[in-house]
Amino acid sequence: MTYRLLGHPQPLRCAGIDCKYRKPKNKAERRQRKRRHPPKLAKSPSMASTAAVPFWRSAGMTYISYSNICANIVRNCLKEPHKSDALAREKVHFTVTKWSEGKPEKPTTRSDDPDV
Amino acid sequence: MAMAALRREGRRFAGSITAPRPMPAIRSALISDEQVPLGVRSISTQIVRNRMKSVRNIQKITKAMKMVAASKLRAIQTRAENSRGLWQPFTALLGDTPGVEVKKNVIVTISSDKGLCGGINSTSVKISRAIHKLTSGPEKEVKYVILGEKAKAQLMRDSKKDIELCITELQKNPLNYTQVAVLADDILKNVEFDALRIVFNKFQSVVAFLPTMSTVLSPEVVEREAEAGGTLGALDSYEIEGGETKGEILQNLAEFQFSCVMFNAVLENACSEQGARMSAMDSSSRNAGDMLDRLTIFYNRTRQASITTELIEIISGASALEG
Repeated sequence: MTYRLLGHPQPLRCAGIDCKYRKPKNKAERRQRKRRHPPKLAKSPSMASTAAVPFWRSAGMTYISYSNICANIVRNCLKEPHKSDALAREKVHFTVTKWSEGKPEKPTTRSDDPDV
Repeated sequence: MAMAALRREGRRFAGSITAPRPMPAIRSALISDEQVPLGVRSISTQIVRNRMKSVRNIQKITKAMKMVAASKLRAIQTRAENSRGLWQPFTALLGDTPGVEVKKNVIVTISSDKGLCGGINSTSVKISRAIHKLTSGPEKEVKYVILGEKAKAQLMRDSKKDIELCITELQKNPLNYTQVAVLADDILKNVEFDALRIVFNKFQSVVAFLPTMSTVLSPEVVEREAEAGGTLGALDSYEIEGGETKGEILQNLAEFQFSCVMFNAVLENACSEQGARMSAMDSSSRNAGDMLDRLTIFYNRTRQASITTELIEIISGASALEG
């Protein structure tokens, strides 16, 4: 599973959970689009306070995945040959087996390798 | 004149045959299933020669493995030492409190996938079991997250129901932060914890590895400890910029701390693994060399004994003809 942005040609400015970049088809949709994004001051279940939760937290990401995506963006900004060197440094491959009640379940492999 | 010389030498060799045979144990061990009587020549030297050949091959292989481990160690050692700077600011800020009292402990045991690396995996498992005993009690829950095949094999034997996750094939690509971060993310999403105890072998030098435990607390526990005072209580003296609250910052920090500590732990364990493999293969080649020396001595003695027997036969045959 590679960390790529969700196909956004624009930077992560609007990040409602189901925001797909497409032109609104008619006036009704254009009007609806303005109301589609959830308000920024949404409460996330993990926070007790009513302060603003960052968009990635409300989307279910942890800080780690957020920083990984940002790092991927920075790496993609490099020029060759440094770019391929840097991208070679973020290959992921491991196998996870979840255990329940003392029995292993089916293992899942998370990999950037195209053959796996 | 030649016969006289031979006769003299025959007497000398005859003396050596009646000398007590040294190392009868090796002889019987080698040829116990053959029942070769004393004096039959070619079969026993063939066996010993085969044995010597295989021991020599093993010695070459272990020497090569030692070289490979040494080169891998050199590559990964600088990275491990540089990664120490990742978690040191966290310890300076949040402190390291191994004695914290929490309800849910998760022990992350880091081990290798491949064997032949000495005793480092056994020490990690021993320490994990000890921590499990220490932190379990009434209303407390302790679970394992295992990285690497070797610890999985050992912990599966008696702690099957305490295992939460098993992760293998980590070292297929060279270790990098992204991989460990994805792994840490997986652990955070799948496992509930109040405190994480990461058990690994810290790399001190090529021959010394220190089994270490690092503690990472969840943000709620950090808040609780901050109220109690100590290093964490000093957090309130920091000013927070931006629109985030202290709770949010603590959550981000805790997640990032876990990721950094895991990265360092995985690198140090990999270093220790290569170092341990180097010393294991080195002692193995030395043992193979010793074995080869003993076998060579035994082979020569057997060979000389057979030559002596032939000479005696010739001489006794010659003297029978004469006399």
